[in-house]
Amino acid sequence: MRVSYQKRILFTAISMLIAFTLIAAALWFPLVPRDVDITDSIFVLDITDSMNVKDVEIDGEQVTRLEWAKQFTKETILAMPCGSHAGLAIFSESRSLILINPVDVCTTYHDLTQMLEQINPHMAWARSSEVSKATYTAIKQAKKIQPVPSIVLMTDGHESPPLNPKLFPKFAGTPGQVHGVLVGIGGDELLPIPKTNPEGDLDGFWGVNEVMQKDVYASMRGDLQEYYENKPRTEHLSSQKKSHLATLAARVGFAFLSSPDDPNELVDVIKSESEPIVQTVDYDLYAWFSGIALVLILLVFLPYSLFSRKRNPSSVHD
Amino acid sequence: MFSLSWEQPFYFYCLPLAVLPWLVQNTTKTVAWQGFIPLDVWSRYLHLMARLLISVTIVFLLLALADPYIPEQTIERTRQGAEFVLLVDRSRSMDDRFARRPLNTLPRKTDVKRSKREVAKDYLAEFVRRRDDDRFGYVFFSTKATEILNLSYNKQAILATINAGGLGKGISKTDIVQALDLAISMFEDQTYRGSRNILLISDGGQILTAEQKNMLKQRFQQMKINLYWIYLRSMRGMTLDPSDDDSMLWIDMPERKLHEFFKKLGTPYQVFEAGSLEEFSHAIDEIDKQQTQALIVDERIPKQYKHDIFLWLALFTLFPIVLSRLLTLWGATHHQKH
Repeated sequence: MRVSYQKRILFTAISMLIAFTLIAAALWFPLVPRDVDITDSIFVLDITDSMNVKDVEIDGEQVTRLEWAKQFTKETILAMPCGSHAGLAIFSESRSLILINPVDVCTTYHDLTQMLEQINPHMAWARSSEVSKATYTAIKQAKKIQPVPSIVLMTDGHESPPLNPKLFPKFAGTPGQVHGVLVGIGGDELLPIPKTNPEGDLDGFWGVNEVMQKDVYASMRGDLQEYYENKPRTEHLSSQKKSHLATLAARVGFAFLSSPDDPNELVDVIKSESEPIVQTVDYDLYAWFSGIALVLILLVFLPYSLFSRKRNPSSVHD
Repeated sequence: MFSLSWEQPFYFYCLPLAVLPWLVQNTTKTVAWQGFIPLDVWSRYLHLMARLLISVTIVFLLLALADPYIPEQTIERTRQGAEFVLLVDRSRSMDDRFARRPLNTLPRKTDVKRSKREVAKDYLAEFVRRRDDDRFGYVFFSTKATEILNLSYNKQAILATINAGGLGKGISKTDIVQALDLAISMFEDQTYRGSRNILLISDGGQILTAEQKNMLKQRFQQMKINLYWIYLRSMRGMTLDPSDDDSMLWIDMPERKLHEFFKKLGTPYQVFEAGSLEEFSHAIDEIDKQQTQALIVDERIPKQYKHDIFLWLALFTLFPIVLSRLLTLWGATHHQKH
């Protein structure tokens, strides 16, 4: 089939005219308001000793869990739409310490990433690691911030001293009142935990007799001896404690995400977990207008003859 | 100076599309014999011109789509202000109530019920809000000093950091030497922009060794840093400078020793002893008044998008094409009628 000359020049003239109008529209069309879901969150990074275990990867390179947590936090902050707010906190001992309240991820990106870089094991003020209690204190402090942010806790779930399975630390709040996500970090294999000295420098590994193998309650009672004799003494080793984190998440009404690959996945979970605030941003449609204009111009110059000859060789001679 | 960055550089891969007008002609007419067409140099030029304009339009549109922008820039300006490192005590004692009345007096309604840390947070935030052009850094210290925020102009960041400092509980004891050392080091590798200050907010003192004293003295003088100490009094009545009605217990207080040392530091030093909210706010006002020297500040010029330039160019190059096409169309239809 061949389009007549008349139709071809008609089509060309029309598409050029429309393209021209679209470019003009790209220049002068007013900004269009668009609704974006934004969230406020506080990223709590576990900086206890077990986070120095090197069993995670960034781009094929073995790094410590803490380095991974920092990198992933940075990428997640970058993946959040402008207008979202992010804060940073660290946890050591049994408490979360908020370093910066949530701030706009775009205008404060530079300061946030610099602060994130500063986070290191030296900041730990004690050598224990009580994940559950740290989660509770993070929730408690989040309630004092307006609007109440979601909590994103990056941890391997390693509790030291260990918890008594029947005596979980009591959570005083209402589950789900403060939203949040527990992000599990670390591999499945039990690995030795690097030890830090009081100055925070790495100094060998924790030995089997240097850590509490039993929880405080059990170590003071004789009647549980039998149970503990059969239990392997592995508290000086660490892996990602998925079931513990899942239990903890259920207790406080958080979501649990184990070793996510994609920061967008975490952003989505944060969004679905919390109640996002709808913010209107002005959106420039220029890319759509000029894109369509470009397509229209290109349509005029596509090598149609190549296709039509192949399909209908006879039509050349009409 | 005029350097463009591109938000969507992958559009550059489409740039070869600009040769299409030179390869393909879809608006040619079949003519029985070439000889019928008169040789017209002008029309040949016009034809070349048209192709060129279309090519250029395609390039301009692709460049506009690649979304050029001038990145956020900082320009140095001279303003009135100063640089401050806020050195905030995060030890347990800061959890105690601010300006607590002595145990042997009757409670009054005006008693402050907040901790020293919360009060300090409020006044610091107020101070930062007042000082538009200053650059602030934030360090908190207990037994270890931790640099939280590098010197930054971002008011949102410093205020959020100060507010976070009011949350939660204190960590442990204090080590002022390490804290001061870290605060001084934040000015290292920085060009001298104007008045440099450390604003120490603490409720305790410490007895320093001769070695520590020498080190601090040297560092303070070398870096030309002023020291302000807002001392949150823990005992009512005690002053840092000895007075006539001193209690015997106060003579050897570590706070006094520290104050004595600071006075001999050889760098401008001023202490504000805040025992009440009024005194605290007076201290903040006083520092605000003193620090109005010239300061070189970095002013941020936000990111500017420049795709409009290319859209304008595309509009201009496409205009003659549209005219010529409409003319062709008009010519063809007009010709048919005859």
